[in-house]
Order: sequence, then structure tokens, then C-alpha cells
Amino acid sequence: MKRKIASVTALALAGVLALAACSSGGTPAPAGAGASTNGKGKTITLWLVGADTPDVARQYLKDEFAKETKGTLDIQQQDWGDIVTKLTTSLPDANNTPDVTEMGNTQSPTFTNVGAFLDITNMYQELGGSKLLQGFVDAGKVDGKNYTLPYYFGSRYVFYRKDVWAKAGITTPPTTLEQFNTDVAIIAAKNPAKINNFSGFYLGGQDWRDGVSWIFANGGDIAKQSGGKWVGTLEDPNSLKGLTQLQAIYKNASKAPNDAKDSNQYIYLNDDDAIPGATPDDKATPVSLSAATIMAPGWAHWSIGVKGKTDGKVTRTWDDKTFGVFPLPGVDGKAAPVFAGGSNIGISAKSKNPGLAKTLLKIIFSKGYQELLGKNGLGPANSDYTASLGNDEFASALVTSAAASKLTPAAPGWASVEAAGVLEEFFSKIKDSTDLAALAKEYDAKLTPMLNAK
Amino acid sequence: MTAETTIQGAALSIAPSGQPRRRRRSITPYLLLVPATGILVLAMGYPLVWQVITSMQQFGLAQQFGQPAPFVGFANYITLATDPYMWTVIARSIAFCFAAAGLTMLIGVLVALLMQVAPRGVRIALQISLLLAWAMPVVAAMTVWNWLFNWRSGVVNWLLTRLGLPFDGHNWLQDPLSFYAVAVIIVVWMSVPFVAFSIYAGLTQVPDEVLEAAQMDGARGAQRFWNIVVPIIRPVLAIVLLLQVIWDLRVFTQIKLLQDAGSIASETNLLGTYIYQLGTGSSNFGLASAVSIFVLILTIVISAAYVRSMLKADES
Amino acid sequence: MSRVLGRGARRSRVRHPAKIAWGIVGVVVALIWVFPVYWMINSSLLSNVTLQSRTPTFLPFGGSWDNFAAVFAGGTFFPALGMSVAIALIVVAFCLLFAFLGALAISRFRFRGRKGFVLAILFIQMLPAEGLFIAQYKLMASVNLLNTVLGVSILYIAAVVPFTIWMLRGFVAGIPAELEEAAMVDGLSRTQAFFRITFPLLAPGLVASGVYAFLQAWNEFTVALVVLQDNADQTLPLWLRGFIQASASRATDWGQVMAASTLVAIPVIIFFLFVQGRMTSGLVSGAVKG
Repeated sequence: MKRKIASVTALALAGVLALAACSSGGTPAPAGAGASTNGKGKTITLWLVGADTPDVARQYLKDEFAKETKGTLDIQQQDWGDIVTKLTTSLPDANNTPDVTEMGNTQSPTFTNVGAFLDITNMYQELGGSKLLQGFVDAGKVDGKNYTLPYYFGSRYVFYRKDVWAKAGITTPPTTLEQFNTDVAIIAAKNPAKINNFSGFYLGGQDWRDGVSWIFANGGDIAKQSGGKWVGTLEDPNSLKGLTQLQAIYKNASKAPNDAKDSNQYIYLNDDDAIPGATPDDKATPVSLSAATIMAPGWAHWSIGVKGKTDGKVTRTWDDKTFGVFPLPGVDGKAAPVFAGGSNIGISAKSKNPGLAKTLLKIIFSKGYQELLGKNGLGPANSDYTASLGNDEFASALVTSAAASKLTPAAPGWASVEAAGVLEEFFSKIKDSTDLAALAKEYDAKLTPMLNAK
Repeated sequence: MTAETTIQGAALSIAPSGQPRRRRRSITPYLLLVPATGILVLAMGYPLVWQVITSMQQFGLAQQFGQPAPFVGFANYITLATDPYMWTVIARSIAFCFAAAGLTMLIGVLVALLMQVAPRGVRIALQISLLLAWAMPVVAAMTVWNWLFNWRSGVVNWLLTRLGLPFDGHNWLQDPLSFYAVAVIIVVWMSVPFVAFSIYAGLTQVPDEVLEAAQMDGARGAQRFWNIVVPIIRPVLAIVLLLQVIWDLRVFTQIKLLQDAGSIASETNLLGTYIYQLGTGSSNFGLASAVSIFVLILTIVISAAYVRSMLKADES
Repeated sequence: MSRVLGRGARRSRVRHPAKIAWGIVGVVVALIWVFPVYWMINSSLLSNVTLQSRTPTFLPFGGSWDNFAAVFAGGTFFPALGMSVAIALIVVAFCLLFAFLGALAISRFRFRGRKGFVLAILFIQMLPAEGLFIAQYKLMASVNLLNTVLGVSILYIAAVVPFTIWMLRGFVAGIPAELEEAAMVDGLSRTQAFFRITFPLLAPGLVASGVYAFLQAWNEFTVALVVLQDNADQTLPLWLRGFIQASASRATDWGQVMAASTLVAIPVIIFFLFVQGRMTSGLVSGAVKG
């Protein structure tokens, strides 16, 4: 008991002292310290977000790092939902910062703008230079200097039910955005499968990550930089064109709830009519199929398929006769610009081993690792290695749509915009709006100050 | 049975002691308080001070990364006080808190009475099911509830549709009012076990004869319940209600996880999620701290009359 | 407690239509409350494909343990379980000790600052936790307690101690000081008197407070999220959330999520059973009769 109290008191005292030390300005690492690339006996930490990076790739990094530096690479997996909180607390803390960390491409500007990352401009050419995905490179750039670089990219494309489309009389995929808009409205109206609340194209009311493609495709944007200041551009004529088309889709083609988000859309495309109800003759809600078309990140194809059984387990297998994919067509017949998914990667400015961290970056941007990412379905940051994605329909849809993809504004306040759900809210109001221009104007007024806040 | 003990604990804890206290001046009480005070100062002291100071600074992500934080006095508080959205969130939170705490108390009392009058086997079944609900981790419980109310494959819609009601594909989280209805149901479901057990314990303190006389048969029974039983269990009711108000006013996890599932965040924010959005989401820690301090003051104001009467009972 | 059971037993002998009606109402309420728990367990035994159907499957016929096997295959459950158990035990033990001493002080003594202390422990519970995480992180980082059982435990004890003091003080006040004094007259030392007389009388209060502290420590998750950043040091709620999120970043496997949730709930149920066993032992039953 007594000892406990004593140690608690000691702790409290230590706390006060340490805090005092902290508040007196921190301790800048002496120049040159840690620049060494000999990692013998040293460990550096890499944060990867989500389960996206496959285990083989993780092992590859550990092995290569040990080979190159004699050091140890500790990989910590973080969750997408909490990464901002963790970066906020850990990156400024020299004792606990990850040396290298992945982050969402839209989260990069927020942290690079406050100096969270090490300037790696002098490595830029060596790591791939202009071969790297430029949109992502820009997301990691401040005042012409590179702080974070692309890690991998993903993309969104269209998944559709060939059988349902055919039943509605449409046998060839659309080649322009306008045609797409018309097709999905026709399918919804015909509802060939006679299903309640059937969507020709399922687009969630708050799903701006997919819906924004219509703004992009018509030449509009969410915001632009003018005179060093970010300004919301939802009310621009081109953006409005896209919004008008979106409203038509929400009204005529989609039966998704207006608060539905960008998650698990694939379940609406799957067919579950083989599952019996509570009683054998239950016909009340016999099928789960709810949409003829969805838009989703490429990995969704793993969850779409015809139901079957292997070894007594229920499985889904992709079937080319039933399902198909195509990149969302643009107004001009080429692929439409879609929301670019993916990650950036950077070295913490507080890393105590910048030399080793730089070695790790070199391994990540090496041919071996980039091709490993590609083989596992993640778009490699360096365009030289895109071929490693393979040449099936998914790979070609990914590459085509990604080539035309667009990022969200690289504004310092972008993270707040996402946190406050401003775009989710805006999109959910499109369907029932009687004056889109006024609505767009209202949200531009909300966006502009948030984008510029540091 | 745990249930019954928990209860008795709570019941006793509220009962005014009436014990003559030792009045000699001594250092003993201070020594006894050292561990509790020590850990509170250690763990809460710095965060509390940080929060108060930060609420008077312009403190964003840049400051978190080492920039000096400009002192802005009460500017954050003024920003909040003049922001109509803040007042909307406050009004919502208070309404939510009263609805959830009120319903929890009502149902808690009814369930406690039910335990008294139900046959033994049923009582035990009831207690076990309440315990199981209580034992369920919040994250797990929210996952299940989200799913029960899922617009597409949720059991709730399936059941209502089966009953011939037009709920096929009904989206519960879309409309703020029905979002809050779902949130209240979940919060009440989670809180009732604690309340019911505590009040049941309180009821065991009521002499058998009184209770038998007050059995709920008819208006006279209800009257006797209010006039005889309620005054006896008032201390339990008081502390349990106070705790419910404190907890429901700062409810966070349930609302956040429901928002993740659906609904438009700005239309369903309560104080907890608003602080989270300002702080964690937008890195506006100065403003977030100001809201936190504001919630603290608000809770104190709401509960002041209550706390005073409780302290009075305590002193007597 | 025996009194309670006794009364129940006596009543159940009376066959009364109203009694039966209340019994039916009781069963309905019990079913409503237990349904989400049942649903979790039911779903944990079904495959994800089955769970996506629009027609719910109410009984796990044709179900399997596959989801549980998949959850265990991750290999991260048991380390997280160990971490959670360690934290819960430390929190319960120290919380009870600190709260007992504190309750003794405010219910057995009148002293300057008493009222202030009572108010402070009441008000400190009213501060929203969502704004505190940066400060808590800095605090723990400065004393090198990030990613440690001790660090999280300190924060948890501080969060739970105010309420447990409040709860225990009634119990302490309920035990006449004269009892202890009388025992000392009979030749027992103060310590002996405490352990033989007062402690057994306090047992129900300690158990009740312990249950509360345990549940808080077991379920807490925002503080843990901030001070436990290392994958090797996760508590069960963090583990569960990580599991749900990792699953959601691909395609959510509901069956596995429910299996994981069930696993997190099971230790709490075991804890309840264990505590119930304690409670029925003779030592304690004496106390409750009073």
C-alpha cells in the first residue's frame, strides 16, 4: 500500500517534470544524428492502415529491410477509422512517432501543411519522379517541396448485372455518361425482375465518393485554389450540370435511402433467392437482389458472385455471364474522372532514424515491392509497374478508370470537411432540392472557410 | 445473486446514514483520502487544467505540432454562444437526455416491480436476461442494434412487414426524429438493467407488509405505491436518476456508432459527437475544449437543485 | 438476500390469476431484453452469405463454428484477453481499496473540506471524455506509460473511483461504528475487529462496486484507443473494433463480427457467475440479513 502510494507520487512528480520539459520547446535532434543507414540493433516502426497491404508484402518489407540495414522493421496496423486521431497524437511525439506512416491521400494535405513530415524532395527523382502518380504527389506537396508520396492507388468502377440489363433490353454497356444515365433510368422503370424498390443504379444519398464523378465528368470540381485561397466551386455551371444529372439519377434510377453511405454496395447486386424464409413456403421477400448496377472500389469483385457451396460452406463465385464491369464513361466517350482512392506515405518529421526511414522508402518504391503490390490488386504508385496488375477485366477497368481519376482538393482544411460530413450532407439533399443552384451556393459558403482553416 | 446484491449496495449507499460521526479533529480522514485524491490528481489533474487552458487558446493541428498557441481569452466561448448550431445541439442533447433518462427510470421501476410480483422462475429468467444485456460490450451491442434496424435486412422491418405494415425497406436512421427514437431505445435497453436492479434492491428494503398492501391492484394500489413505497426508495431513485442524467447528457459511443451506420451527422449531433467532430475530426481543440467545459457547467446547473437536496439528506 | 428469496418462494405458492398474468408479462420483458444477445449468438453461428439475406434466419440450424475458428485464427484474441483481464483486475482491486478508504473518510469523519471533496467527486464525472484525449496522451507519454497496463489502469481507476466512493460510503455509514468498538472491548485488535466484524458486513457493497468497476474497465474504449497504440498491447474492445474495421474496409463479414462480439461478452458472463458464487457463500449471506 505505502509503496504503491510512494510510486504513484513519484509518478505524478515525474509527470509534472516531464511536462515542464515538454513545454519548454522540445528538444530538436542534433543535426546529422540518425542520418545513418546502418540499422544494426535498431528498430524502426512503419504504420500501415487497414488490412489492404497483404501479408506477403509486409514480410517482403521486413526481409528486405533486415537485409539492407541489419535493422528490424516493426509494422503496426492501424484502422482507417482512428488513423487521424493516432497521427494527431503520435506524430508530434518524438519518442512514440512511427518513423514511416501510410495515410489516406485525402488526409495527407492536412498533416503536410502543419509540418508533420520530413522534406524528401531530394529523394523524389530517385524514388520514381515523374513516373509517380502525379495527383497523389501533389497531395503531399507544400510550397513545391515533397513531403509524402503515393503508396498505392485504387479506383472505382461500375459493376452491373448483365442478365438484368439484358432483360430490360439493353445488351451493350453505355459509352457515354449521358447514355449511362438514360440506361439506368430505363432499367429502374422496367424493373424486369419485379422486385420492390429496385434500383437501376444504386447510389446512396450520402455517397459523394461515387456521386462526385458526375461533377468531375462535366468539368466541375469541389473547390479550386485562386490567389492562394481555396474556394468552393459547387455552384459553377459545370458542377451544376453534373448535379442536375445526379438529381435525375437519385429521382429516377436509384432507390437507395438518402442517408446511405459508400459501404458494402455489393450486397445489392448479389442474388439470394435460394435462401429459404422462416417457413418453407415463405414468399414474402424471396430475393435480396436490389440493384442492376452499382459503383464501388475494385476489390468489391471479391464479394460479388453466384452463390454456391464448396465443402459445405456457402461461397460466391464471379460469373461472366451474370456480372460485368466497365469504367464509368465520361461525357466524351472516354473514361469519366472518378474519385481517386489510395494512400500516401511519408517519414515523420520527428523520426529519430531518418536515414533508416529513407532506406525503407527506397525499398517501398523498388521494382520488387511495386510489382508485389500490383500482383495483389493494389495499383502501384509508379506507372512503370502498372502491368503487374495483370490483364483481366478488373485490372483493365482499374487502370482505365484510375488514369482519369481525380483527387479531392489538397486544402489544409480538407480533413475537417470530411470529419464534419459536409459533402455527405450536401449530396443527401440533392434529390429533394427544388433549387440546385441555391443549394450549391449554400454549401460553397460552408466549404470555403473550412478549406482554408489550418 | 449478484443482481440482488448490487441492488442492496445501491440502496444502502443512498440511505442517509444517520450515524453519529466521529467529531474529533484528526488527520486520519485526510490520510484516508490520499490514495483516491492522488490518483484523481494524477490522472485527471493535468487533462483538466489542459482543457481549461486550451479552451482559451486558438489551438488547432498546427499548435499540436509545436506552433505557439495564441491566447484568445473567451473568444471560443463567444464563438459558441453566438453560434445557433451550438444551441440547437444543446437543446437536442437536453431533450434526448430527459427522454432517455425519463424512460429508463419509468421502465426500470416497472421492471423492478415486475420482479417483485412475478413468480420465482420468471423473476430469475428476467434477472438473467437483464444481466446478459448488461454484460454485452457497447461496441458489440451497437453492432447488433444497427443490424436489427438495418433498412434492408433488419429484423425490425421484417417483423413489421410481416404484420402487414408498410415497413419494407423503411430507413429508420434517415429522419432525425426516428434516429433519436432508435437511439433512445438502445440507450434505454442498455441502462435499464442497472436501474432495475438498483430499484429492486431498494424495494427489498421496504417492509413486506407495506409492499403487500401496495400491490399494484387498481388505483388504490397505485396510490399507495406513490404515497408509501416511493418515499422509502426515494434515495435510490434520486441517485440513479442523477447518474442517468449525467450519463445520458454526455452520451457518445451509441450516437457515434449509429451515425456511422446512417443519418446525416449535422442533423443528429449531440454534445458528445459534436465535441468529437470539432476536436478529433476538425482538429479545433480550442473550440472542442470550450464545448467540454460548457457541458460540465451545463450538467452542474441541471443537477444543482438535485445535488443540493441530496447533500442535505447526507448532512442530516 | 435470503429474505428476498424467501419472500419469492412464499409468494409463488399462492396461485392467483394476477400472478400468472405478471408471470407472462415478465417472460415477455425477459425475451425483449435478451433478444439482441440471442441475435448476436445466433448470427455468430451462421455464414455471412446467409446473414445477407433479406429474410432473417432465426435458428442457427446448419450453422457451424467456422466464424469462431476464423476469429481465433487471427491469433490476436488471447493476447488481448490477457491484457483486458490484467487491467480489469488491477482496476477492480485498487479501485475498491482507494474507494473504501475514501468512503471511510467521508462517512465516518467530519472534517474541513469534506463537502468540497464530495462535490468534486460528483462533478468530475460530468466532464465529457471526448475532449480529453490529447491531454491524456501527453500525460502518459511524459511518464513513459503509453502502451502499458499500468498506464491504462491509472486512467481507469481515476475514472471509476469517484462513483465507487459514492456507492461505498452508504455501506460504510450503514455499519454502526459501535459494533467494531464492542468487538475491541471483547479483546480484538482494531485490525482483527475490522476483518472479523466490519469487512463481512461490507462485502455486498464491495461486490457491487467491484462489478461496476469491472464492467467499466472491461468495456472502455476511447481512452484505450489513445494510450494503447501498439498492436501488441490491445484490450478486447480495441481488438473488437479493429476486427470490425478491418472487416469493413473490405466487405464486412457479419458472422465473424458477431462471433468476435460473443467472445468479448463471454468473460463478463463468467465474471458474473463467479461473483454470484461468492455471494452465496456463508460469509456474505450473514451480512445481507442485517
